[in-house]
Amino acid sequence: MSVQAPPTSITTRIVRVQAFQILLVLIAIWVVFAILEGDRFATVGNMRLVAQNAAILAILGVGMTFVIITAGIDLSIGSVMVFSGVIGAKVMVAQGGDGWGTAWLGIAASVAAGLAWGLVNGVLVAKAKIPPLIVTLGTLGMALGLAQIITKGVDIREVPLVMQSKIGYGNAFGDVPMLAGIALVFLVVGGVVLHLTRFGRHTYAIGSNEEAARRVGLKVDRHLIAVYAISGGLAGVAGILSLAQFATTAIAGQSQTNLNVIAAVVIGGTSLFGGVGTIFGTVVGLFIPAVLQNGFIIVGIQPFWQQVAVGAVLIVAVYVDQLRRAAAQRGGRTNVLSRLRGRESTSNEE
Amino acid sequence: MKRTSRGLAAAAAVALAVGSLAACGSSDGGGGGSDSKKIAFIQGVSGDEFYITMQCGIEAEAKKLGAKVTTQGPEKFDPTQQKPIVDSVVASRPDAILVAPTDVSAMQAPLKAASDAGIKVVLVDTTVNDPSFAVSQISSDNEGGGAAAFEAIKELAPDGGKVLVVSTDPGVSTVDARAKGFKDAAAKDSSFQFLGVQYSHNEPTQAAKIVTAALQKDPDIVGIFATNVFSAEGSATGIRQAGKQGKVNVVGFDAGPAQVKQLRDGTVQALIAQQPDVIGSDGVQQAIAALDGKSTKKTIQTGSTIITKDNVDGDAKDAVYQSSC
Repeated sequence: MSVQAPPTSITTRIVRVQAFQILLVLIAIWVVFAILEGDRFATVGNMRLVAQNAAILAILGVGMTFVIITAGIDLSIGSVMVFSGVIGAKVMVAQGGDGWGTAWLGIAASVAAGLAWGLVNGVLVAKAKIPPLIVTLGTLGMALGLAQIITKGVDIREVPLVMQSKIGYGNAFGDVPMLAGIALVFLVVGGVVLHLTRFGRHTYAIGSNEEAARRVGLKVDRHLIAVYAISGGLAGVAGILSLAQFATTAIAGQSQTNLNVIAAVVIGGTSLFGGVGTIFGTVVGLFIPAVLQNGFIIVGIQPFWQQVAVGAVLIVAVYVDQLRRAAAQRGGRTNVLSRLRGRESTSNEE
Repeated sequence: MKRTSRGLAAAAAVALAVGSLAACGSSDGGGGGSDSKKIAFIQGVSGDEFYITMQCGIEAEAKKLGAKVTTQGPEKFDPTQQKPIVDSVVASRPDAILVAPTDVSAMQAPLKAASDAGIKVVLVDTTVNDPSFAVSQISSDNEGGGAAAFEAIKELAPDGGKVLVVSTDPGVSTVDARAKGFKDAAAKDSSFQFLGVQYSHNEPTQAAKIVTAALQKDPDIVGIFATNVFSAEGSATGIRQAGKQGKVNVVGFDAGPAQVKQLRDGTVQALIAQQPDVIGSDGVQQAIAALDGKSTKKTIQTGSTIITKDNVDGDAKDAVYQSSC
């Protein structure tokens, strides 16, 4: 981007972000279902449930967005989530009781367990220089295995009643599901940290060029450890929330959670090559599969089609990212859609 | 704002694609009279012969009674996958839901919510902690099935000996009951020694490991009761790995094509078949009765059939599960 480039207004900048284009896709999908089955699909009650079911994935998505912006990956989140839920449940069973005291102990234990796995991931990635794919593939197996060892593979179903009634199925500010409210808090905090703080800028810098970041004096190792710790800690939060929602540790579940979250992050415009991405995009990326599944079921289409549709969206999203990177390397600015139409875009097209 | 319009164009293209897909999906469901009842069937897992046979029973009975059926199911027998499906089905406001809950506690609240929304809920095959909201619960007499499995082993090994149960996960009401029925029946017969229940987590490889380890410890096991499809598959593999074919009798539960093949091959010596089609048709009857304001039966138990190599092509032919209707 040259210095002489005309100053872009905030609206044009928003429009150019992939997250915004993907938002249009989400809105389009929503409108189609609303037209087809408006009185069933486009209701407050239905949207509440969609938000509730996407909430836990959204919290995982915040951590994953940070990790992928550093050009890393965290495959372990589903297992860490199960492990943390198991630790939380064990602590609460040992403590006994159905009140908030027990619940807070469980929450603290679960988050601590997640954080611990995140630190392990971070140290192995940053200090031992093992590729994140391998590190988190290893901890994926280890966390799940240990969860099964601790429970002997038997799900724990004793969850304090307050957690189920107030968190799992409670409401925040009127009619918003509590889970969605909690997720919103994490999304806002995550967005502010990523986009408005030095920590966030360093995350982008490391993802863009780790060596350059190191040379200008960023503490890259420490930063990477912190980023993986955030992802692990958020998996801990997700673990205890899942416990509140399902009232079981669901050890056999979550086996595809990591891939679902990664897909959402990537659909939302975060580049697997690092340095690019938004929390907002991740949220939109999460809602596309969620709304597709919900809408397909309400309209009465085989749910298998949802996987086909999400897979296609994912591939298109990554292709768009590739085009943008190729254009950026040639020094031109990105105009992905005109590239798709086979035209070269230049920075002063408008 | 060229780029905005292009973005909108892309969005419109997606809208068109989703729309046309949705339109062809809903076309086969549309067109019925407004008073025909809508029944949604939510399977425990999609693509499983047990639930497909149940679906066949449901569809046949619904056709007879003039109701329309849509079927949905999660890819895995997993409450975290089934809950969003239940929520979406509830949002589509069917008149009744026939559902096989995947977890006794996780599915409690979502199904209670469905009932609170005025939908008649019939629990088929599995159940939840507090099923009082359901108009009816229909399942196999699983304890009876477990007892039948013991009878089958007794016939295969009349001299008695050690017997083992390979189950899936504790907390799944149906398989727990099968194991209990088997255990109680074994306890009544002093010539048999019950070695307990092992859990395979529904993984054939895990079941195989359990069985090879158990045969290391007790090489004189005469019978293994595998409480479901994958446990039976794995148990048979485990016996083959230990080189004990012909010495250990495996009695499987359910009679899908895979199990029937195992029976014909001789890896499994007997099968206990449930009657999923009957569960399905009874479920539809109860749902319709509830919608018509008639009285319903709170619990219904369906029977089971012992299938062996000798009767698989004869008397027990209809007990074998279907892979499509």
